[in-house]
Amino acid sequence: MELLHCEKLTKIYGAGSGQVMALRGVDLSVEKGEFVAVVGASGSGKSTLLHILGAVDRPTSGKAAVDGTDLSGLNQTQAAIFRRRKVGLVYQFYNLIPTLTARQNILMPLALDKKKPNPEFFDQITGSLGIADRLDALPGQLSGGQQQRVAIARSLIYRPALLLADEPTGSLDRKNSREIVDMLKLSNRNLGQTIVLITHDEKVALEADRIVSIEDGRIIKDERRR
Amino acid sequence: MWNDYSKSYIKNNRASSLSVIAAAFISALLLSLLCSLFYNLWKYEAERIELEEGPWHSRIEGVIRDEDLEMIRDFAHVESADRVPEQGTSPEPSAAVDLRFDDMGLVLENTPRIAALLDIPPENISYHHSLLALYMVRDPQDTAPRLIFPLFLAVTIAASLSLIAIIHNSFAVSMNARVRQLGILSSIGATPKQLRACLLQEAAALCAVPVAAGDLLGILTSMGLLRMSNALLDGRIEGRHEAVFGYHPLVFALTLLATVATVWISAWMPARKLSRLTPLEAIRDAGEPRLKRRNRSRLLALLFGVPGELAGNALKAQKKALRTASLSLVFSFLAFTVMQCFFTLSAISTRETYFERYMGVWDVMATVKNASAGTFAETDEIRSLPGAESVTVYQKAAARRVVASGECTDEMLAFGGFEGAPAGDVTPLDWGWLVNAPLVILDDAGFLSYCAQIGAEQRLDGAVILNRIRDVTNPDFRHPRFFPYIREDAGTSVLLQAASVSVSAEVPVLAYTDQVPPLREEYATLDYYELVHFLPVSLWREIGDRIGGAEPDFYIQVRARENATRAELDSLQQEIRRLLTASGYTAESENRLQEQETNDTQIRGMMAFFSLFCILLAVIGAGSLFSNALGFVRQRKREFARYLSVGLTPEEIRKIFCIEALVIAGRPVLITVPAAALAVFLMLRASYMDPGEFLAEAPLLPIAAFLLAILASVALAYRLGWRGLQKLRLAEILRDDTML
Repeated sequence: MELLHCEKLTKIYGAGSGQVMALRGVDLSVEKGEFVAVVGASGSGKSTLLHILGAVDRPTSGKAAVDGTDLSGLNQTQAAIFRRRKVGLVYQFYNLIPTLTARQNILMPLALDKKKPNPEFFDQITGSLGIADRLDALPGQLSGGQQQRVAIARSLIYRPALLLADEPTGSLDRKNSREIVDMLKLSNRNLGQTIVLITHDEKVALEADRIVSIEDGRIIKDERRR
Repeated sequence: MWNDYSKSYIKNNRASSLSVIAAAFISALLLSLLCSLFYNLWKYEAERIELEEGPWHSRIEGVIRDEDLEMIRDFAHVESADRVPEQGTSPEPSAAVDLRFDDMGLVLENTPRIAALLDIPPENISYHHSLLALYMVRDPQDTAPRLIFPLFLAVTIAASLSLIAIIHNSFAVSMNARVRQLGILSSIGATPKQLRACLLQEAAALCAVPVAAGDLLGILTSMGLLRMSNALLDGRIEGRHEAVFGYHPLVFALTLLATVATVWISAWMPARKLSRLTPLEAIRDAGEPRLKRRNRSRLLALLFGVPGELAGNALKAQKKALRTASLSLVFSFLAFTVMQCFFTLSAISTRETYFERYMGVWDVMATVKNASAGTFAETDEIRSLPGAESVTVYQKAAARRVVASGECTDEMLAFGGFEGAPAGDVTPLDWGWLVNAPLVILDDAGFLSYCAQIGAEQRLDGAVILNRIRDVTNPDFRHPRFFPYIREDAGTSVLLQAASVSVSAEVPVLAYTDQVPPLREEYATLDYYELVHFLPVSLWREIGDRIGGAEPDFYIQVRARENATRAELDSLQQEIRRLLTASGYTAESENRLQEQETNDTQIRGMMAFFSLFCILLAVIGAGSLFSNALGFVRQRKREFARYLSVGLTPEEIRKIFCIEALVIAGRPVLITVPAAALAVFLMLRASYMDPGEFLAEAPLLPIAAFLLAILASVALAYRLGWRGLQKLRLAEILRDDTML
């Protein structure tokens, strides 16, 4: 079952002589439950693609749909609700609210919908991510690896259709990187979570079911490994 | 989101919250103080006018019967209608009625309607312009500028806007620093509406108490200031009535509305800014002051090296946040300096052109109301009072005279004669020009003494003509030049009634002179072409009935012994008043030293008022600066970390802050010195004063004190900001994920 569908997706930044074409007619389809790695050099357009798929940015032209929702037609409020319920975003620099505890950060997407968390699911996530004993700490009191686990827990708490991770291991050491990738794989295997992971680290990419290579705003290779 | 996010934010960001609370409190206090003071100033002015000139709004003169009066009272929006109390000893009943309305906006509309109902022509209506102007009701016929109230209003609005800008800036600093956090919230699904609500809730939680407390304290402070001014001025200004504190609920409502609206708008603006950004842009935005374009600070770099350039760039990046502080400090110092110079110059000018000029002319002056000098018989009695050296009784009257074509002097003709004379001053005739001939009627002894002064024959059957006309090509009023007006060959002068030139009286001319008698009078100040005649009162008794035009009051000018003290003059003044009252006269009196003291007090009072305004402006600037400096810790910690990480020592960073403080405090001086110099130059030119005289009394001390206060407040604000930054540790800042 197709969860993500992109067709002739284009993104242009700036205007006139300063114009930059970040995406040039990208076509991509991702099935439910897939673990896809998007690889490419810096400036190739992979982060732009992820931001459009996460509805944090808009395409200049083309079509992008996630779980049946056409992203190009969303207004600000609809986009926010889409981000809250349909996708989980994990960034390289965690993007946790520094004034909230780890628990509050994780529960924030539910709190925005005035929903109570499922305690079992919460315990399952935090337990499997290894942060159950650090839930009352502020982000500033956590290590980089712990902060990224909190960010992943936050992205999963709403059971999103799609998890988008932008260089989630970019700021971590080898050991923490390994653990984070394992956790993503675990959530893909155990929870059936569809994941699109952006990375420039080949070793990380090799952990995915499928590797999409992007260069100069175009998909140049789409390799299914499993 | 309140429980899930805002509460934690406020709890974990005490410095930021305190800065917003402090700004809201200080601004609400100053705003409330300012509005309350303005209201009381307005109220006092209205009370003063009502006490001195009567509480009426409009006046109708004509035949008004008691039943008409009842009809007026029943007219819509008429609050009261009363007959004007009878004045003097006139047996005629007063035919004027004073009206008060309960809606000031209807005074100009309803009074003519009432007059029309009574068949009274519109020209019999008069309005209390000075009182109406306080309610912003202006009669189009009233040509007086009446700028004091609009000026106060403009000043209050300008100061209020500055205070509002402080609250706004304080919020902007706090909110901009959070754009990234709000971007994170947006990226995980917070809608624009949720973010807006969250910011507004926070603003309400942080500002409700400080705004209420500030407003209340502002009212109490203004009450205290009013009491203090009463205590200070009581007895120093004669006739001053005590100011009674008042407060209108509308003033409170307006003050509260202004602060609440500002807080609301300030909280709403970052939400609006956020709605224009994608979450990604918001996350990338650190709320950090940034330079929009490369613009080197060459001078600072030259003077202080790298710290100078960094300080210059930081100042440019903070331009918006520092705008209120800079403007307030510059404007307050400029206004204070120019105001001090203006009042110093004005005091010197009044002293030279009035008090020193008339020092040997008068000591006590009495204006006797509704009476004629011709029938005054108490001159000798006043002359015999202890302390009175000389007494002159005089009255002024209006008359006209024809200056024949051949009568003008060559000098007068050389300057163009009557060409260009205003039609109101001179009327051209076939055989000459009809000019004003003001009469100064001196008591006989005074007139004979004047004759002796100018070397004329001492007679009481003729007039002395002040035969001079000012050289209008020389605008220097301090050193005027005169030349002879008319030829001095005519032995008589034909005076014409001012109202109807068909009635005349021919008087012998005893002398033509360019000297004036020692009176506290100015001649030909507005109408350059007037030909002043000095007459003895004996002659006036003969021609007065024909010429008419006498002013209703006459004057008694008394000179006391040289160097008489204030107590002596007070005593002499009291004696004169007692004597006049005993003889049935109504008189007003003044003495020179008392007038000088009152004048000095008034100047000091005005200086104090304007100084207070300047200080208020400076406080606004300093308040804004403090609010900005307290925000340093949040706003500039990244900048601070970068400096440290590239190897700048804390001492060098301190130097950067010192340079910034110096620039902020120095800017008012750099702008003020040339501007004030130019203003003083123009004022000196306009007043024809010798620059040396001004420089000898230049108000350098208060200006230096004001500048030092500005320097101290800027230094203190930066010291506080620096202290906050010193507490931060580089490792902590770098560990903070918002750094990245």
